[in-house]
Order: sequence, then C-alpha cells, then structure tokens
Amino acid sequence: MANSYTYTDAFEELQIIVAEIETGKVNVDELSEKIKRASQLIAVCKTKLTATEAEVDKLLAELTEEPPQSDSATPEEG
Amino acid sequence: MPEVIESKTIFSLLEVTRSIQKTIADRYKNLYWIKAEMNKLNHYSHSGHCYPELVEKKDGKIVAEIRSILWKADFQRINQQFIKLLNEPLRDGITMLFQAGISYDPMYGLSLRIVDIDPTFVLGELEREKKESILKLQQEGIYDTNKKLPFPAVPKRLAIISVETSKGLSDFYKIINNNPWGYRFETTLYPALLQGDKSIPSIIKQLSLLAECTDKYDAVAIIRGGGGEVGLSSYNNYLLAKAIATFPLPVLTGIGHSTNETVSEMVAYKNAITPSELADFLIQKFHNFAIPLDQSQEKLIYFSKQHFLRERNAIAHSMQQISWSSKNKIASEKHGVLILTQRLQLFSDQFLREKQTSLEHLDRLVKLADPTQLLKRGFSITRMNGKIVTHISQLQIGDRIETIFIDGKITGTVTHKEGDHGQ
Repeated sequence: MANSYTYTDAFEELQIIVAEIETGKVNVDELSEKIKRASQLIAVCKTKLTATEAEVDKLLAELTEEPPQSDSATPEEG
Repeated sequence: MPEVIESKTIFSLLEVTRSIQKTIADRYKNLYWIKAEMNKLNHYSHSGHCYPELVEKKDGKIVAEIRSILWKADFQRINQQFIKLLNEPLRDGITMLFQAGISYDPMYGLSLRIVDIDPTFVLGELEREKKESILKLQQEGIYDTNKKLPFPAVPKRLAIISVETSKGLSDFYKIINNNPWGYRFETTLYPALLQGDKSIPSIIKQLSLLAECTDKYDAVAIIRGGGGEVGLSSYNNYLLAKAIATFPLPVLTGIGHSTNETVSEMVAYKNAITPSELADFLIQKFHNFAIPLDQSQEKLIYFSKQHFLRERNAIAHSMQQISWSSKNKIASEKHGVLILTQRLQLFSDQFLREKQTSLEHLDRLVKLADPTQLLKRGFSITRMNGKIVTHISQLQIGDRIETIFIDGKITGTVTHKEGDHGQ
C-alpha cells in the first residue's frame, strides 16, 4: 500500500494536511486521523528518500570508479 | 674496233657502252649541285658503300628516278659531318642537296656519284619537317589532346616503351624502385627501337598494342637514355607524334637529350629531360597524393582524440553535476519533510492546545452558570407556576410562589412587595 505511493504524491498530500492543520480547517474529530495519515506519509517520504539516497550514492560511486577501469581495459598507444 | 659484215658495221656491247661512257664523260665533266629526295640509302655494311635511290616527286608521284653511288670513304666523311652538325646520321626519306658527278659504267649503267651532301640544307629540311608535323597536329586539333587527359592521382601501373639494355631505363628503375617513401610502381616493358627511322614504326606498334589494354595501365612512359644524341629526329615524325598525342592514356617522355625538344615530346602529357627526371616527376605525383593523405590521417587522429577528450570532460562534468545536484535534491527534500514534520507537530500541538483552552474556558463558564453553585452560595430561585421569577413586577400580592434552595424547596404567598427604589 505504502509502496504504491510515489514520493511526490506522498509529499503533496502531506503538504495539504499540514496546511489544513495550520489554517484550522481540521476539526478535532478528524485531527488524530489526519495526524495518523500524516505520519504515514512522512514515513513513506523518509523511506523513499533513504532508499533513493542509498541508490544514488551507489551509482555515483560506480561512476567515479568506472574511468580507471575502462583505461586499463583499453591500453593506449605510446 | 667494230667489224663490218655484209656492209653492216657491227658494234660489240662493250664498244657501245664504252662509247656512251665516253660521250657522257665528255658531256658532263663537272660536278653538279643537285636537289633530290633520297628514297632509300641502301647502305651495304659489308662493303661500306651506299647505293642511294634518288627520286623527284611531283604531287606525290615520282617524276624522275636515278641510282647513285656513295663510296665508303665519302659516306663515312659525310655521315660524320651529319652527326656532328645535325645529330642525325644520313637517312632515308629526306630531301637533300648534294654534289655529284654523272657517270656511266658499262657494267653498272648510269648513276650519280655523290661526293658531298650539304648538311645545312638537310638541317633546314629537318626543321621544316618538324614544323610541318606541328602544324598538321595543330590543324587537326590534336596537338594538346594528350596534355588535356586527366592524370591519375597515383600513377602506379606504368607501361614502359624502352629497351631492356638502356642506361636511362636502369636509372629510371633505380629511382622508382628504391624510393625511400616505399611507393610501389608496377612496370611492364614494351620493347621498341628508340632511335633512327625504325623507331617510328616500332614505337607506334607498341602504342597500338597498348591501346588495346589501357585499363591495365595508368600511364605510358617512353624512356631512352645513354644512347647519345643521334637519330632523334624520328621523334619529330608526324605519325609518331600523332600516335602519342591521340593516345588514350597520358604519355610521358624521358628521352634523355639536351637538344631542342622534339614534336613527340611537345605533344606528350609530360616531357622530362631525362629518365631520372621522369622518375622524380612520378614520385612527386605520389607525394602530391600521399602527403595530404598523411596529413588527413594525422588530423583525423588528432581531432578524434580531441573529441573523446572533450566528451570525457563533459561526462566528468555531468557526473559532478549529477552527484552534486542529486545530493542537493535529496538534502532539500529531507529538509522539506523535516519542516513539514515540525510544522505538523507544532500546529497539531497548537491546535490541541487551543481546543483545550477553549474547553477550559467553557468549563469555567459552565461552572459559573451552574445554579447549584449559586444556591450553595446562598442564592435561591423563585418560581411561580413552574416559571422562573426574575422581577418583582411579575408577582402580585397573594401569588403563590415556590422558593428553591440547595437542599429543597419551600412554598409561600406574596404578602408584600417593595421595589429597590422604594416603590
């Protein structure tokens, strides 16, 4: 369920909830429900971010490792 | 002496011929300068004598013809003179001015005995022949034909008209085969005579053979050298020059002489003074092709290396950018989430606090409004017929009222009314 959310969707919804709470549009009955929803969304966003960050770091590390590999694989003349 | 038989004077053949001989000798005592065309030299190598056939032509037809004799000693002297002055030996087919005596021999008949030939006259004849050849080629519009042919970028396959033993040919081979740049030439020899009258049909024959297989060659080279300067007037021959001018491949000449350029050389695609110069010319053609090629190759290598370098730098740059901006993006998103979380906490707390406060306020109000609290403090509630009485104007003397206390109620009757203002 949480995985089917994109980061952008989750973040947008989170923003809306925060704005609603800030402007007092939420009534007390809904509040705990909203907070619950918001913490779910925050969890989704954080998970996505952490996963993305780990992946990006890994890819970047591969990128910086690649040139010396290709150099040794194709010996240049002279 | 003649015999007399039956009143007839009879001469022997020898007597007749001797008489003719004497008559002619008496009549033609001097030497005469005569102009005639020498149809054929008829040089007999074993005796060394020549028996030239002399003719005069009119409109291409022979109108006079006589045999002549040129003794060995005269021939040798005249020939030397010719070679010295004209670079040409005495040869057939030329109009000449010669000095001769007229003689008759009982054995050999009538003939002219040539004692001298004017080389300057022959020189003029040779020049005239050359000019005629040029003029004819020009009139036919073929003088420049060979020169106008496209020259192959790489003249690699050469048909060579020469003689195996020619010094010029071996010089030529030496240069083209040992060139330090490693240019490879493919040469095929078409042997031919290269000087004297016989060179004309000989070279023409090889050219016509070559004309059958022009696809096998890039150019034809006529190479001679080391053979001295003698006998080159054949290269002024119209037929030979025409064969060269109209040849479908470029003809190159390296005939090797220092005298005036011959017509064949003039009409050839390129005339090199010597076979060595011709070899240099061909190598230069290879240079003209190879040098820009080498330069292009270097440029290609240089520019492709540059290209790769540029792309590599661009990739490295993009990589840094990606690294930076993706990290940046993640950081800013993290921050965004953090901010939202904080706001959420803050505002939900605040929200709850507000609700709490208002509840407390309400509670207080509610508590303040609670009548039991008032009753406790000594207030009481008066009702009439179940309705709250708040003003005395609502009551009349004698009305029955009910007064409620904290712990119960009493019933009474209104007996007296007194307003706060003394009514």
